[in-house]
Amino acid sequence: MTLLTDAPPIDRAVVTDTPPPARLPIRGRVFRTRFFSVRVDPRALAVCGILTALITVFGCWAISVGDFPIPISEVIKTLLGSPTEDSEFIIGTLRLPRVLVAIGVGAAFGMSGAIFQALVRNPLGSPDLIGFNSGAALGAVVMIVYVGGSSTQVAMGAIGGGFVAAILVFLLAWKRGVKAYRLVLVGIGCGFAIEAAIDFLITRAKITDVQRAAVWMTGSLNGRSWDQVRLVAFGLLVLGPLAVLMQRWLDRLDLGDDAAAALGLNVSRAKLGLVIVGVALAALGVAAAGPIVFVAFVAGPIARRLVHSPSACIVPAAFVGALVVVVADLAARRVIAPTELPVGIMTAIIGAPYLLWLLMRQARTGAL
Amino acid sequence: MKRKSRAGSDEPPAELSTGDRGQCTTHLAMGEGRLRAEEVRLAYDDHVIIDSLSLSIPDGKITVIVGPNACGKSTLLRALARLLRPTTGTVILDGEQIHRLPTKEVARRLGLLPQTPIAPEGILVVDLVARGRTPHQKLFQQWSESDERAVHAALDATSTMDLADRQVDELSGGQRQRVWIAMTLAQETDLLLLDEPTTFLDIAHQIDVLDLCEQLNHEQQRTVVLVLHDLNLACRYADHIVAMRDGVIVAAGPPAEVITAENVRDVFGLDCVVIDDPVSHTPLVVPIGSRHEAPNLAPRQMDVGEPHA
Repeated sequence: MTLLTDAPPIDRAVVTDTPPPARLPIRGRVFRTRFFSVRVDPRALAVCGILTALITVFGCWAISVGDFPIPISEVIKTLLGSPTEDSEFIIGTLRLPRVLVAIGVGAAFGMSGAIFQALVRNPLGSPDLIGFNSGAALGAVVMIVYVGGSSTQVAMGAIGGGFVAAILVFLLAWKRGVKAYRLVLVGIGCGFAIEAAIDFLITRAKITDVQRAAVWMTGSLNGRSWDQVRLVAFGLLVLGPLAVLMQRWLDRLDLGDDAAAALGLNVSRAKLGLVIVGVALAALGVAAAGPIVFVAFVAGPIARRLVHSPSACIVPAAFVGALVVVVADLAARRVIAPTELPVGIMTAIIGAPYLLWLLMRQARTGAL
Repeated sequence: MKRKSRAGSDEPPAELSTGDRGQCTTHLAMGEGRLRAEEVRLAYDDHVIIDSLSLSIPDGKITVIVGPNACGKSTLLRALARLLRPTTGTVILDGEQIHRLPTKEVARRLGLLPQTPIAPEGILVVDLVARGRTPHQKLFQQWSESDERAVHAALDATSTMDLADRQVDELSGGQRQRVWIAMTLAQETDLLLLDEPTTFLDIAHQIDVLDLCEQLNHEQQRTVVLVLHDLNLACRYADHIVAMRDGVIVAAGPPAEVITAENVRDVFGLDCVVIDDPVSHTPLVVPIGSRHEAPNLAPRQMDVGEPHA
C-alpha cells in the first residue's frame, strides 16, 4: 500500500472525468448514446429468436394435422393471406385460434411462473402449485354452474378466483413476512381445499354444466374461438409490458429485501405490484384455457437454463411457456388420434417427473 | 501487503491516523452529523427494540457500534438507512427527515450493506457490483459511462478487479465480502453503513475488510458506520464507538473512553482487564472468564485525546 501521506485524497469528480482504462466484462451488450443507454443480453435475444422459430414451426404443424389434413404449403399460403375455401374455414375458424390461444396462454403462464419463482426464491413457488390456478378454476366453475358462463363471465370469475386464492394463501402464510416454505406448504394445502370445493360444486351442478366444467378443468384448448384469442391478446397487451418492466425490481429483490431497499427500491410496493401482475397473468391463462398444470412451473427454470442467467428471465419464460403449450397441445391431439386428450394431461406428463426430481433434490439439499 | 503496513504503529501512516483520531474526537459534538437519530423508538410489530434513542454519526469518521447479541445494533442501523420506520422520533439525513425523502434519493446518499445479502446463483462479480448502480439508473439509462466508471473505481478500491469475471459463488468468504463492499461503493455514497461485515470471516480476512474500511475513510473521506462484534478490532479501527445494551446507548465516544473494564462489564456482563494494545495503542480487552482470577495490574495508562508518540 502506498503511504497514506503520499496518497492525496481522491477527488471523485476527477475520477469520473477520466475514461475507464478497460471495458468491464459485464453481461450483455451496451448501446449508448448521449441521452440513453440500454443493456441487452445477446444470449437472451438468441434464445427468444430460436424459440419463436420453433413456435412457428410447431404452430404450422399443429394447424396442418387433424381429421382433415392440410399440407404445410397450403397452411403457409393461408396464413399469408391467400386461402382456399376449405382451408379458410378449417384454419381461420378452428385451428388458428386454437394455436394462438395456446401461444398466449403459454406466455401468460410462463411469465407468471417466472415472477413467482423469483419472488419466492424457489421453483416450487409457481402459481399452479401454490393454489392460485385452482382458485382461478374455482372462480370459473362458480360462473359456469351458477351464472351460465359466457366466456367473459368465465374470465372474470377466473381472475376473481385467482386473486381471492392469492390473498387467502398469503394471509395464511403470513408470519412477519412470507417465508418460501410456508408459502409453498400453505399454498399446496389451500390448493387441495379449493379442489375439494370444485368437486363439491360439480356434484351439485346440472349434468351439462358438469361436462363443460370437467373438460375445462383439465385444461383444454379444444374449441377455442377468436373470443379467447381476443381476451388473451388484450390481457397480454396490458400485463406483458408491466411484467417486463418489473424485471428491474426482481433483479434487486434477488439480493434480499434489505439489500434491495438499500439500493433504493420500495420493497413492499414492488412485491405487491409483482404479485398482482403475476396473479393476473395466471388467472388470464386459466380464464382462456383452464388450469393447465406445470407450464408455469417448468417455463422459468428452463428459460433460466437456456439464457444462462443469474436473474429471473420473464421474457424468455414467456417464449418457453408458449412453446411448451403449443407442443403439448399438438401431442395431446395426435398421441391417440382421433381421440383428443386435454392439453393439461400432456403438460402433467412432462411436468410431474420434473416436480418429483426437484422435490427429491430440494429435500436432499435442504433448500425447502 | 496492506495488512502489514497498518499493523506497525511506528510507521508514518498509522502514526498520522492515530494522531488525527485523537484530535477529532475531542471536538466531536453531538447533534452535528449529516446522519442522526432523534429520540427514535424502533419496534417490529409490537415488540419494542429501542426506545427513545438519540445518536449522531460524526461526519468523515469511522463509527463502530458494539453491544451484545440482540441489543438492537442492527435494528438501529436499519433505521438509520431508512429500512425501518421509527414508531416515534425521526432519523435526519442532511437536515431532512429520512422518511420524507424518496427511497432512491436516500440510496444515492447513503449505502447500506445488510448482514446477509444474497448473491443470485451464478452471478459474476462485475454484474453484482454493477447492481450497486441501480439507484442512479433509469429505464432508458441502464448503463451510462458514469456507471462504468463507478464500478471500475469500486472494483479498484476493493482490489477485486482481478475477480471481475469470476462467479461470486466460487469466491472465498473474504473475497465475497470485498465484492459486496464494492457493490455498496458503486452506489457512490459518502455515507457507508456496514452491518457486521466481518462475521464469518477468519482473522486475516477480518483485518483485510477493516483495513479496506479505513482506507475508504482516509482516502475518500467517506463516513463509515460499522457494527462489529470484536471489541479489540472495534477499538483499533473506530474513531467513535457506540456501546449499546438492551436498546440503550451505554457509552459513546473515542475508544479509550468507552472501552473500560466497567463499561465492558456493564454492557456485556463480562469481567475483563483492559490493557494497552502494543500495536495500535488502543484499548485491548482481555476477558477473565471463570477459571482465572483478575491479575493485579496497574491501571491502564492512556491519555485520552493525546496523540500517542
